[in-house]
Amino acid sequence: MGANLVNLNVNPCKMCMPMGAVSAFYGLKGCMTILHGSQGCATYIRRHMATHYNEPVDVASSSLTEEGTVFGGETNLIRGIENLISLYSPEIIGVATTCLAETIGEDVGAIIRKFYDAHPDAKVKIINASSAGYAGTQYEGFFRVLRAVVEQTPMDTNPSQSVNIIAPMLSPADFRQLKKLLESMGLSYILLPDLSENLDGIHEKHYKRIKSGGTPLGEIARMAGAKYTIELSRFISEDDSPAQYLNEQFGVPFERLAMPAGIRDTDALIEKLVELGGRKTPELMRERGRYIDAMIDSHKYCALGRAAVFGEPDFVYSVIRLCCENGVIPVLAATGSVCPALRPALEEEIRKCADRQLVEKTVILDDCDFDMIESVSRELGVNVMIGSSDGRRAAHRLGVDLVRCAFPIHDRVGGQRVRMIGYGGSLNLLDQIANILLGNQEERFRGEIYDSFFETARHTGQAKKPEGTLQTIAQRTASHPCYTCGGGKYARMHLPVAPKCNIQCNYCVRKYDCPNESRPGVTTQVLTPEEALEKYKLVKKQVENLTVIGIAGPGDALANFEQTRDTLRLIREYDPDVTFCLSTNGLMLPLYAQELVDLGVSHVTVTINAVDVEIGAKIYKYVDYMGTRYTGVAAASILLGNQLAGLRYLTEHGIICKVNTVVLRGINEEHIEEVIKKVRDLGAYISNIMQMIPVAGSAFENMELVSNREISEIRNKCSVDLKQMYHCRQCRADAIGTLDNDVSIEFRGGCGTGEEQAALPVKKYAVASKSGMLVDQHFGHADTFYIYESDGTTARFVEKRQVNHYCTGKEDCLDDKQSKMDLILSTVADCSGVLALRIGNAPLEKLESKGIKAVTTYDRIENAVKQAASQ
Amino acid sequence: MSGSVRILEERKTSILDKAMCCNGNGKEIGCEKQSVSGAVSQRACVYCGARVVLNPITDAYHIVHGPIGCASYTWDIRGSLSSGAEIYRNSYSTDLRESDIIFGGEKKLAAAIDELVEKENPKLIFVYATCIVGVIGDDIEAVCRLAEEKYGIRVIPVKAPGFSGTKSLGYKIACNAIMRLIAPNRELPKGKGVNILGDFNLAGEMWIIKSYLERIGIPVVSTVTGDASFESLMRMPSAQLNIVQCAGSSTYLANQLEEQMGIPYIKVSFFGVEDTTSSLVRIAQALGDQQALSKALAFTAEESEKAKAFLKTYLPKFEGKKAAVYVGGGFKAISLIRQFREMGIETVVVGTQTGQKEDYEIIEQLVSDDTVILDDANPAELEEFMLEKGADILVGGVKERPLAYKLGIAFCDHNHERKHALAGFEGIRNFTREVNLSLNSPVWEFCR
Repeated sequence: MGANLVNLNVNPCKMCMPMGAVSAFYGLKGCMTILHGSQGCATYIRRHMATHYNEPVDVASSSLTEEGTVFGGETNLIRGIENLISLYSPEIIGVATTCLAETIGEDVGAIIRKFYDAHPDAKVKIINASSAGYAGTQYEGFFRVLRAVVEQTPMDTNPSQSVNIIAPMLSPADFRQLKKLLESMGLSYILLPDLSENLDGIHEKHYKRIKSGGTPLGEIARMAGAKYTIELSRFISEDDSPAQYLNEQFGVPFERLAMPAGIRDTDALIEKLVELGGRKTPELMRERGRYIDAMIDSHKYCALGRAAVFGEPDFVYSVIRLCCENGVIPVLAATGSVCPALRPALEEEIRKCADRQLVEKTVILDDCDFDMIESVSRELGVNVMIGSSDGRRAAHRLGVDLVRCAFPIHDRVGGQRVRMIGYGGSLNLLDQIANILLGNQEERFRGEIYDSFFETARHTGQAKKPEGTLQTIAQRTASHPCYTCGGGKYARMHLPVAPKCNIQCNYCVRKYDCPNESRPGVTTQVLTPEEALEKYKLVKKQVENLTVIGIAGPGDALANFEQTRDTLRLIREYDPDVTFCLSTNGLMLPLYAQELVDLGVSHVTVTINAVDVEIGAKIYKYVDYMGTRYTGVAAASILLGNQLAGLRYLTEHGIICKVNTVVLRGINEEHIEEVIKKVRDLGAYISNIMQMIPVAGSAFENMELVSNREISEIRNKCSVDLKQMYHCRQCRADAIGTLDNDVSIEFRGGCGTGEEQAALPVKKYAVASKSGMLVDQHFGHADTFYIYESDGTTARFVEKRQVNHYCTGKEDCLDDKQSKMDLILSTVADCSGVLALRIGNAPLEKLESKGIKAVTTYDRIENAVKQAASQ
Repeated sequence: MSGSVRILEERKTSILDKAMCCNGNGKEIGCEKQSVSGAVSQRACVYCGARVVLNPITDAYHIVHGPIGCASYTWDIRGSLSSGAEIYRNSYSTDLRESDIIFGGEKKLAAAIDELVEKENPKLIFVYATCIVGVIGDDIEAVCRLAEEKYGIRVIPVKAPGFSGTKSLGYKIACNAIMRLIAPNRELPKGKGVNILGDFNLAGEMWIIKSYLERIGIPVVSTVTGDASFESLMRMPSAQLNIVQCAGSSTYLANQLEEQMGIPYIKVSFFGVEDTTSSLVRIAQALGDQQALSKALAFTAEESEKAKAFLKTYLPKFEGKKAAVYVGGGFKAISLIRQFREMGIETVVVGTQTGQKEDYEIIEQLVSDDTVILDDANPAELEEFMLEKGADILVGGVKERPLAYKLGIAFCDHNHERKHALAGFEGIRNFTREVNLSLNSPVWEFCR
């Protein structure tokens, strides 16, 4: 077996025989299929086919049960056939067996004879095929049905000029192409099966549950008199070959050709058809020419291809040959079916192709699984996979694209319209393969060249920071939620230790006690450095992945530098690993920058809204610096000068700096790009362009907001200059948790939202509920009661009571209806009322005699209880 | 029964047309029966039931002992998400062949386990016995026991031959497998927190529920089986309370846990505004946690407000529309009818694969007089009734989608493969959007 594990199939590259059987029966006119076995087989196969074809797929089951398994399924199968006739009025019924029917030894032939005996008038033709799931794959199942069809159809042996075409499992679109080809060549033909319509229906005013396409029984009967059979399969065994049978029984000569994909196999079919009297139309020759032209156009891209082709043997054979013709090297050929003939058929072909590009190793596998396909593909450097969508997980893990062109395709639309045969179909497949290879190259070449040359040059250059610090800061950045895309994995904690601010922005009001508001400048309480340490210890225990401590106000971290410094020192002593981050308006940066470096702060955010003092003057009301309050342009100048000098100092000392910029309508919205360019030049790592949050009481309270779309346009523009942060949540000054899940409310003081005091006396109610949400159960059926307390205004769930826990000990008490009722009554004895969907008269009286009110209703539990209590 | 619709004689008792039958005359819908042979039931099998419940355990090796089909068709078909291992998304099968059927598959199974242990170092293996194994009589119980002894890991047999009952039996078998797994930890001391039962983390729904609970300060001990791992399942006995989301698959497990390990349970639902709200409140009440209760009240009040405001913007789009519902269980059908009602959409055809008598009674009360109710419906019946009742949208599984489309009817996926969460407040928004995506597509203007 071509698998990594001998006794275990890991990720199957095949399906079972009944799947193929159902598919083949779908190509007969007026045919319905019943699977003789348990219900699941039909359901699974229907689901598999429905998602591939996007068509209703009706397959019946004889729904064998335990009884049928022991005593035989004859009754079930006959009943099933009768029901199919009355629901669908089919011309043909296909009976395919499953593992179960085969293993219990069902004689389906005999059962069918019994059916006809019982229904002598039945016009339906029943065809049965033996298709145990373990006896082969869908590949064999498909041909086994075709063989059964020719064997069991009464034949008309009058000689005709027709040619029989036996087709393998192709898409409906390919069946249509095949028919068009045959028609254009002017041949009289009988195509078995014909899937062109039944699994790719059109939209009609009136839906027909039995499709009108498919090979008619009358045509099949004429196959015995045909002058020739072409069977488009190279690998199916003689026992399952319809052509072989027609030859043995009726002397129809035949040839088995490959599925006509690629130039040689399409040519071979066409030559054969010419030999049989067909003619090549000029259009057909133009199609051929066009395909060859396309082969030349794509050949250089194709030569880079290292393909893994997987699927049924006939599919693999022809697609591999198509690849070889185009110079795509099929380094792996793999089928899940047992097919030792595949290797000798392809070995030389693949060898020759691989030699052209000096590729040494190629592999051919049969009876293999995706586990094997994946590991071999990895080893061989596969860069394109060709087959069904079952290969998508392997392709995903390998990081290669998958051409979906075989059954089943579950994750894309258009499975029924796959085209890969004839010149036109081959061209379509070739284009898809070539485009994947081209796409690979287009998408990757810049990065690859950059990595191998530019990066190397930089690493060997001079200007290098000490390896150690670089590493740690890179790691810290990777685990900092604000600096990583999405940031959802890591949590941060903002410590509100810095209450004072030294500037007044026109968009800001700082508040200390608003637990429901989430924005910068807001906190519930301000902590001392010691309290901050305690809180950190507490949170560290409860919040997983807490990697970052940030000081973000509620004022400015550097306007309260002592507190900030003491807090960071205390925490550093306790936890040497945690990352320090801090945000500031930058006014005091030149003064404290070196100290920040010494404290081990690795990330600093500076809010810079303008790099033009005139604009800055409109944003800042005042700036308090060295004991003096400045306003207007003077204030903006001092602030800007310090921001820029501080930022440069930090970045030169290896600190990762983020620059926040608030977009203000009519003030700096046109100026943002300039800000970003400036801070980029100073070494900022990332820019966070933010929406203003309008705050009641601030000077900009009524300012019109810049829309999210405008923000994102600005960010996109600026992303050319500097990396943009797209996931900012504008967090509170005491935020805790990941960016998307602030849990700080858990760590704040209580808000005093106690239970409301009861107004009316509190009564107990027992509720019969199946769903647990609604009063939706009969009183007598309940084995559980939900006990509620209510005063008429609120309903409180108390507990759930199991009826049998109130059993007094008698073993048989549940068998006795009377005793069960007694049990129920004792379960609810302490309640004022019971609520149930229905209640019988006898229990109603009993309840009433005990003073328990009974309410029958269908409502939400809480509503019903409140209503009962308020009456 | 309406004259234009052709129905199998044996199926007639499984269909109830409210217009034809007065309430209270004793006529009841036939349900909880075997599927009718040849009727093209939408139901799956026992194995399927067991597989879907256990499959989301992310670091377990699920070996399907049987022929390849059973493994192939259930390979990674659920949209259960994982925050850890991805092992469950692989398919492992003994891939039984003709000779194994004749000589028995026990040796192959034992060898398969040996290989897996050697190569992958698993902590937990489930071995599923399919139809064939039930018939040829492999003693998988013995093979699993020997492997457990030999390797000191957990190897749990899941005997679920497809023919042995319905999908519900498969659920029960899966629950027993879980009980067997956690039995060694039955004496674990109880700590704070709840287990979430019956949520399979489809499209991350369990994560949504878990985030709500964490938000109101209730820790989640273990989840069954969405995003579960061997380790997390083994913690299950230490919870204070079980909350049961998918009642059909997990009530049995909840009862077992209550009886054997003394963990009480309550049933909850996170479909729709009201269910989500009362579930969170109820959980806090059941735990007697005042702080969680006040947080739950505040949280749900705020979110309900938002969800209702959201829904309001869509209401004009749904005016006068009619829905058909065909889903697995009764509870889901009921909650869909109610959700549609909140959206101003009337449900005119309701069916389930495995609904029970009381489910149908409630459905009957919920829907208007011109509604058809079906148990274990087949495509022919769905087709006839959806057309007759003029349904504009069908909510159902993958198999029903193409039928709806062929009939020119919109469709909303409500199955295990979906990629949009339908639970919680997020789910309300998703469901509304989903319905509208299809219902108000321009394509219908060209085909009706």
